[in-house]
Amino acid sequence: MECVVQGIIETQHVEALEILLQGLCGVHRERLRIHELCLKSGPNLGVAASEVRLLCDLEQPEPTWTVRHIGGAMRGAGAEQIPVLVRTLNESKVSKNALRFFYSLGYKLDHELLRVGFAFHFQKGAQITVTVSSVNKMLKLHATDEAVPVTPGIQLVEVTAPASSENYTEVVVAVSSFCEYLAPLLHLSKPGVSTGVVPTAAAAAASLMSDGGGTTL
Amino acid sequence: MAAVDGAATGVQDQQQQPPARAVERLNTAVQQQLNLESVRTRANSLYKAISRILEEFDAISRANAVPKWQDVVSQFSMVNLELFNIVEDIKNVSKSFVVHPRNVNAENATILPVMLSSKLLPEMEIDDNTKREQLLQSMQNMPVSAQIEKLKARIDMIGAACESAEKMIADTRKAYFGTRQGPTILPTIDKVQAAKIQEQENLLRSAVNHGEGLRISGDQRQITSTLPVHLVDVFAANDGPQNYSDASGMYLKNTPPLSSTSNNSQGNVLQASGAQLLGRSAASPSGATVNTSFDNTTASPLQYANSPRSSANMMNTPSPQQQSLQQLQQQQLQRQKMTPQHQQLLAQQQFRQSSMNMGQSQLAQLHDMQGQGQQKFQQVISHQHMQFSQPLAAQQLQARQLASGAMHMNQNQMTQGNQLSRQLNQFSSPANNAMFNSAQTTPSQTISNVSAMMSSQPLFTRTQFGMSGGNRNLPSQNLSDQMFNMGAANSGGMMPIHQQQQHNSQGAFGNMQQSGQNLQPNMVQMQNTAQNHPNFQQSRPQNQQ
Repeated sequence: MECVVQGIIETQHVEALEILLQGLCGVHRERLRIHELCLKSGPNLGVAASEVRLLCDLEQPEPTWTVRHIGGAMRGAGAEQIPVLVRTLNESKVSKNALRFFYSLGYKLDHELLRVGFAFHFQKGAQITVTVSSVNKMLKLHATDEAVPVTPGIQLVEVTAPASSENYTEVVVAVSSFCEYLAPLLHLSKPGVSTGVVPTAAAAAASLMSDGGGTTL
Repeated sequence: MAAVDGAATGVQDQQQQPPARAVERLNTAVQQQLNLESVRTRANSLYKAISRILEEFDAISRANAVPKWQDVVSQFSMVNLELFNIVEDIKNVSKSFVVHPRNVNAENATILPVMLSSKLLPEMEIDDNTKREQLLQSMQNMPVSAQIEKLKARIDMIGAACESAEKMIADTRKAYFGTRQGPTILPTIDKVQAAKIQEQENLLRSAVNHGEGLRISGDQRQITSTLPVHLVDVFAANDGPQNYSDASGMYLKNTPPLSSTSNNSQGNVLQASGAQLLGRSAASPSGATVNTSFDNTTASPLQYANSPRSSANMMNTPSPQQQSLQQLQQQQLQRQKMTPQHQQLLAQQQFRQSSMNMGQSQLAQLHDMQGQGQQKFQQVISHQHMQFSQPLAAQQLQARQLASGAMHMNQNQMTQGNQLSRQLNQFSSPANNAMFNSAQTTPSQTISNVSAMMSSQPLFTRTQFGMSGGNRNLPSQNLSDQMFNMGAANSGGMMPIHQQQQHNSQGAFGNMQQSGQNLQPNMVQMQNTAQNHPNFQQSRPQNQQ
């Protein structure tokens, strides 16, 4: 299971966000370059169509592959009160043959995208990961070198934290309290709920980027 | 100020007439200025608000919950504002009410009388007198009331000047602070921009979460450009993005573990034999580079670059192969010293490495072709041969390829293999004799199941390649040593091979194709033979997507 929230930020404020995150998280950023292939099962496989994502981390010296299955989100009145999305998630590292394996099982490539950006991994009540990335699409199949951003002026911010059914409430609290620190720059919400940009973002970004002022009267 | 004066006089009045009034009332001016009753009420309500907030904090802290900072901040600002307003109002009349008690102690006992005395210092007194005379001199002629009025007028003027000065100072201060801290009101985004941003946001969110806008139509799904590095070895020549055969999938999956283990074992064996032949350690290229080359699967030629086309056409575009081979070459160069045979060895190694990967895919094709679920068709393509010392003859490599490709792990084939090897010997060119011989020794050690199914004409064709040039890139060493026996049959012993198990022939065939593709210098030759060869033609459609 994982808790996840998403938000958007204008590309011009990404640097300020990085400074803020650097200060909040206390760790250095890690570059992120992930080629994500989304495979959907064929028509006659199983009762319902299923979707599997293959992630290839291109930032490592050797590309490492991960397979991820995103399950359904928690539902109910209680879930609606929680400001983050709690959903089941299964992830595993796989070899590079995973793609061929899924093809041979009958999965077809539904879409693919390339995320380029940076990420922070830190511990603050829970193991939280914040990724700020520009989502790129490939005009030609698998042409990751020629990827163009889906929305050039806006980047995606994602805050995720793994959770289990026993401790997800604490993880939710940790994630939501962390998100409040980012309030001056962006609003985070459940995936699918749009937030818009924050009006104070420009001022907050300016103050983050400045050297702090300190001029005397 | 007038109010303060009024208040002062009001107080004095009160003091002068304390006995006259039982109840003290405030000066009306003061009362106009500040309704004390209301101040009291406001102070009381403020006090209640603060105590309520404190109680809330208490409850939160007891429950160990995280306070909602937005609420807290807003409440604080409310309280702050109210307090500020009250203080502002009181400030106007605070002079009449505020008493600051100062106790007499040793420190100020001596100076206190001096401070309290209202008599001016002599200098100050003189100063005061002169100024007073100066002021009243002009008005001495007028009656007292006129003088008083004039003085009042002057006082008012001075008061007005002071007020305007204060106002200017306050404005400047506000402006200064305002620009420093940013606008005090929340900036709003204009609607047009907000709408644009909203639209972009929806695009982005739907793309990330649901893949909207990222799907390519079917006809655009052909891979037309070079594959990125991380996908090069994932796809094989005959794989399309959409379809895949089961056998190939399984086959490939099994490849890595086998290869890794086989590499080591083979390498040791080969190195020993290689050293004998060349007098130079084959360990370096085979041990180090071969392993790395194997691991670095990206070195394999980009078969995929031409996937829709047949294997024959792939030979027409050697550039990706060359690039990868060049990389391999560089790696090897770093580790080896150039020797006269280096060129050949390098070529062989490159070929070996590249063909290794190709072998895998080719073998997959073979499965398809055969239509048999030969799942045992293990990847013996294993890099047992990767480690093979470079001196191996191309023929031997071909044989190996075929052998591994068709390897069904049938020990029955051993005898056949031996026959083939004998036949191969007949065909080995002098240049390759040494390697061939060395290779021959190895099989005994390594061959467990030689699939006899070697082949047929494809084998033959392949062998021809090996023979034709010294510089030949060795066919993928994927093929186990065992196979080299089989491969030998090609040149001369096509027939006998052909008569052997048919199903293996196709395996060999696939290998042949691979080696053909990998043989850069012999591209042309391969092409010709491949195209002409009936078996090749069989497999060709397999390669086409």
